[in-house]
Amino acid sequence: MTRTLEATNRTRGHWKTRDVACALAGAVSLALAVGAASTVAVPVNDDLGLVAVLPYPFWVGVLLLNVAFVVALRGDATGPARRAVMMWLVVVLVLVLFGTAAFVTDVPRGEVAFRHLGIADALSRTQGINPDIDAYFNWPGFFALLATMVRATGLDPIAVALWAPVFNMGLWLAALGVLTGYLTRDPRRRWLVLWVFCLGNWQDQDYLSPQAFGFFLYLVVLALVIGPLAARAPKIRGIRPADLAAWWRGRAPEELRPGRRVSALAVTLLLVTVICASHQLTPFMVLIAITALTLSGRVWPSRLPLITAVVLALWLVYPASAYLTGHPPLAGGGGLEGVIGANVVDRTSGTPGHVLVVQLRIVLTFVLWALAAAGALRDWRRGRLDIRVLLLAVTPLLLFPAQSYGGEMLIRVSLFALPFIAMLACSVLLPSDGSTRRSPRRADGSTRPSPRRAGGIARPSPRRAGGIALLCFLLAVLNVTGRFGNARFDVFTDGEIAAVAAVQRLAPPGSAIISATHPTPWRSEAYLEHRYRTIEDLCGSLSTPACGPFVYGYARHNPAGAIVLLTRSSEASLLLQGSTRPGDFEKLEEWLSAQDNVALVFSNADARVYRVTP
Amino acid sequence: MSRRISRPTLALGLAAVGLSLVTLVGLPTPLQAAAAASVLVLLPGEAMTRLLHVDDVALHALLVLALGLAALTAVSTAMFYFAVWSWQACVVTMGVVTVLACIARGRQEAA
Repeated sequence: MTRTLEATNRTRGHWKTRDVACALAGAVSLALAVGAASTVAVPVNDDLGLVAVLPYPFWVGVLLLNVAFVVALRGDATGPARRAVMMWLVVVLVLVLFGTAAFVTDVPRGEVAFRHLGIADALSRTQGINPDIDAYFNWPGFFALLATMVRATGLDPIAVALWAPVFNMGLWLAALGVLTGYLTRDPRRRWLVLWVFCLGNWQDQDYLSPQAFGFFLYLVVLALVIGPLAARAPKIRGIRPADLAAWWRGRAPEELRPGRRVSALAVTLLLVTVICASHQLTPFMVLIAITALTLSGRVWPSRLPLITAVVLALWLVYPASAYLTGHPPLAGGGGLEGVIGANVVDRTSGTPGHVLVVQLRIVLTFVLWALAAAGALRDWRRGRLDIRVLLLAVTPLLLFPAQSYGGEMLIRVSLFALPFIAMLACSVLLPSDGSTRRSPRRADGSTRPSPRRAGGIARPSPRRAGGIALLCFLLAVLNVTGRFGNARFDVFTDGEIAAVAAVQRLAPPGSAIISATHPTPWRSEAYLEHRYRTIEDLCGSLSTPACGPFVYGYARHNPAGAIVLLTRSSEASLLLQGSTRPGDFEKLEEWLSAQDNVALVFSNADARVYRVTP
Repeated sequence: MSRRISRPTLALGLAAVGLSLVTLVGLPTPLQAAAAASVLVLLPGEAMTRLLHVDDVALHALLVLALGLAALTAVSTAMFYFAVWSWQACVVTMGVVTVLACIARGRQEAA
């Protein structure tokens, strides 16, 4: 056994030709993808987003990368390719999938990253926290961190936001790598989990945000709970109270040194506290996950859920009380029907191209969940289903009916479940004997593994490897489609950024700044100095006849006046998502520009700025 | 025979002091970013993780990042709540955290 384990250690010895070839293929893939992405012109004028405008060398690179990964994963009888090669291929995948937009443009995608920079900027200017401003100031942990890092490092905040997805994916994968190390000893399965996690991650939650930071800490907490704080549970003999009590008392800690357990517990509590201070939703997921694992008998400190609940409650009752007074945590859902409406129905409308993108996102999620269900069934039939993985895959669903979360709850649920869905999916992708169990006894009674099962680890056949490579390539195509499917309106042009800069320069203190709709790359500066509104928020729909007069009246009644910003991306967003009819945007602008006290003060190919004086 | 403090612990403490001063004085942008990230996240993370005696290299590396980021978040958030925040104060505080963790580790090594 020892000899087998030594044989799987790929960190020593000479580099094999296959390893070198896979590493070179990774480099070629990266060059192809970066070169192809950098030729894409902005704005992206296609309803399908980036997938429709990325030239074919990008896809050649993606295909080559997936083939190289599967060849490296298959390796030889002793295991997959050496660790450095596998890590390099994962790094390339992260750069290709999550850095694509950064190779297309120097402007971060979406509105929210700009807003988060503005909150950090506001914090560092005021040097204090006023919880009455908005929800962000009730969970300021991430913004305090961001303000400190940006000021101390002197980095350009826009560059930080641009590369945040790549950085956050690096953090998530580091945590997931450690976490899977506690759940399986099969190196092929560990690498494939990381790969599938990247491919399935279309949710686009890795931008500069408290969610991304909270998710990283969530994975670290799980690594501690499943690692140093884990418990071994005996078999349940029945469900009578006496049986359950005996089962509970029969648990034993995996880590036998009490000092190490106390240290891990202290770190866990620090991380839980920081999660509670940084994000609204993640602490609830932490509590659910820890409680589920504890009730399964697989966590040693049995009071950890209680302590987590107390920390969460204390944060809600004290620092977040200002927000919570008007926004109870379980309100705003409108029941299951309301949640489904906000999360599903409202998101599946718009132009045919946009609807197709949304449907492909759903297909990607369903494919992974179906693979995971098949993997779980397969593991269960073979008596090696890890209850911890199953619990962590399904417990995020408990969040769904609780809150609509602005129509994003389903996205967050799929994100929290994704690492464990990927893990279960790998059970069906890899050969059946690729598990943590011992090598099966051979006919001669020995337990020496066959070449295909070295170390109790199966090597995928060429046919199966081909299937995995094809599936991974298709998942990568779906990932790019889903992730960058809103590129028509969430990839901003230099002209739009110039218009926003002009707005910041022209807007008098206290004035209102009105954009047509989200996303608008605004609020990264002067977060507290203006009232920011969108026409869509004010009117509901631009198509209503009363919308123009209403917006005009709102702007004129503001004592310091208002600036109205109309951008190409706003118009594209409204049209693509079916919020307005073609021509309504132009009609509104035409009507507004003809009113008294309205003057065009800035314009370029992608934006117009109007000043409305009171 | 009494044991001595290990070289890594000593180096970590001295690096924290040195880099804190350098970061406060200021450097050209790429160097300032590296120095600030080290003194704010990596050095305190490493110093605190060394107190935990983690055997697993991967978990150790992960905890360096997680503890460093979490500690900086806790320190900077507390400073904002007490209205005493400045990035320089955060640098000094994280430097002190690192030195204190090194002293605690030194005591463990000397014991």
